[in-house]
Amino acid sequence: MNDQQPSRMDQMLDLLVGEIEERMRARQGPALSIDEGPPPVAEPPPPAVEAPVPPVEPQAKVVEVPIPSIIEPLAEPLEAVAAVAEPEAEAEWQPPKPAVSPNTARLMGRLALGLLVAIVLINIPLNRHGTTLATAMPDSAALVIRDGLVLKEEDDEKIYVLQDDKLRWISSLDAFGHFGFTWGDVHIVEDGFLDRFEMGTPLHVLLKCHSSPHIYRLEGGAKRWIVDIKTFEAEGHVWEDVRFVGCGYLRDLPDGETIPPGHGPPPQP
Amino acid sequence: MNNLAVIETILRNRHRFFTEIRDGVELGHKMRAMLVSGMAFLALYGAVMGSTHSLWQALSSAVKLPILFLATLVVCSPTLYFFNLIFGSNQSLTQNFALILTAITVTAVLLLSFAPIVLFFLLTTSHYQFFKLLNVGVFTVAGIVGVTFLSQGMRLVSASGKEGAGARRNVLRLWILVYAFVGSQMAWTLRPFIGAPSMKFELFRQLGGNFYANIFASIGEILGFFTVR
Repeated sequence: MNDQQPSRMDQMLDLLVGEIEERMRARQGPALSIDEGPPPVAEPPPPAVEAPVPPVEPQAKVVEVPIPSIIEPLAEPLEAVAAVAEPEAEAEWQPPKPAVSPNTARLMGRLALGLLVAIVLINIPLNRHGTTLATAMPDSAALVIRDGLVLKEEDDEKIYVLQDDKLRWISSLDAFGHFGFTWGDVHIVEDGFLDRFEMGTPLHVLLKCHSSPHIYRLEGGAKRWIVDIKTFEAEGHVWEDVRFVGCGYLRDLPDGETIPPGHGPPPQP
Repeated sequence: MNNLAVIETILRNRHRFFTEIRDGVELGHKMRAMLVSGMAFLALYGAVMGSTHSLWQALSSAVKLPILFLATLVVCSPTLYFFNLIFGSNQSLTQNFALILTAITVTAVLLLSFAPIVLFFLLTTSHYQFFKLLNVGVFTVAGIVGVTFLSQGMRLVSASGKEGAGARRNVLRLWILVYAFVGSQMAWTLRPFIGAPSMKFELFRQLGGNFYANIFASIGEILGFFTVR
């Protein structure tokens, strides 16, 4: 009796064989179905496993034992394989359309958002003159409002320099040269642009020649004699403002009103 | 985000997009998406350009740049439609409009992609003439790619009407030239977009001169021949 009835070990092996067969079928199915048409109905089990199996019906046993939980998941792929294997489906098969990734749309959105933030940031005023990051970078900025900025209106020949938030008129070309300005420093602005600034004292250059004790202030192309030291200091001048020139050059300049006015014709150098 | 998905389809799968325009699939939705996204991108680029001058100029350019493209579209699209009609096209005006809008949208997307570069130059150099020419270059590249899309779209959408196909191709070429001329003159009329650094903010500048003369003058100044005032 013992020889004829399968042992527990044999039953376990049967189950294992059944499972292996199912899996083999499932794996070989897709390849065969696509390349060679419908899959074969049955396949011989591996001889090594087949040998010890007694003449029982392994498939029937497999169904009875609670194995379905293992086999069931395979049913769906097999169905899918069968569907692929259908000749009609094969005829209508087309290469899959490239999937449209949402990344580009998201990237565009983020780029736009980032740009918006950047635009806001570079337009935030950094100082009371309203200078922003966008207009404050090197060289630019043609018109960064700052101390030392040299400005000239389009239809006005007067040149001004901005000092302590006040515009100071550079009263002559000598003064322009004396204070170290160059034409490259001059920013031409449209008429009326300078109205927004408060006017400060003009920027003059004082002229003197070696053989004369007199000091003259050059203003609008004419020399104005400063009558004494007291006036010199009262006008806010310092010795650094005095520029030495040739007496001939000084004599050739037309005379203007004395400082203070009303001191008669000025002495010649 | 849905609008951007339409833009993505144009960039990734233009064949499908043009086919849908030909078949009239969701034309309204497509046009709305292109309008919203394209105008938003143009506004952003306009704001970048105007930031070189002032906040007001940035806001002004953000409004004026979309207007520039829309106005050019409105002015030029009837010509293309009627000439195509004469030479055997079976497209509707809406399809025509959608195709030109596609070109504008592609241009806008490219401008958006150039914006970080322009922003970089805005922050690191501020030679006005250089910045102006940089923008002209960017617009030229983006515009050429945009009209290339238009050309491809036209070919696909009117593929069914074989009669007069050659003539329609020539019409499109000529129309692209007209489009460029109208666009540049429109830009000149709506200027400034950047704003000369020595001038106060102004919404529109007085008419005078023309776009091409100004560009040549800018090149001249960069090369050191003379100074543009």
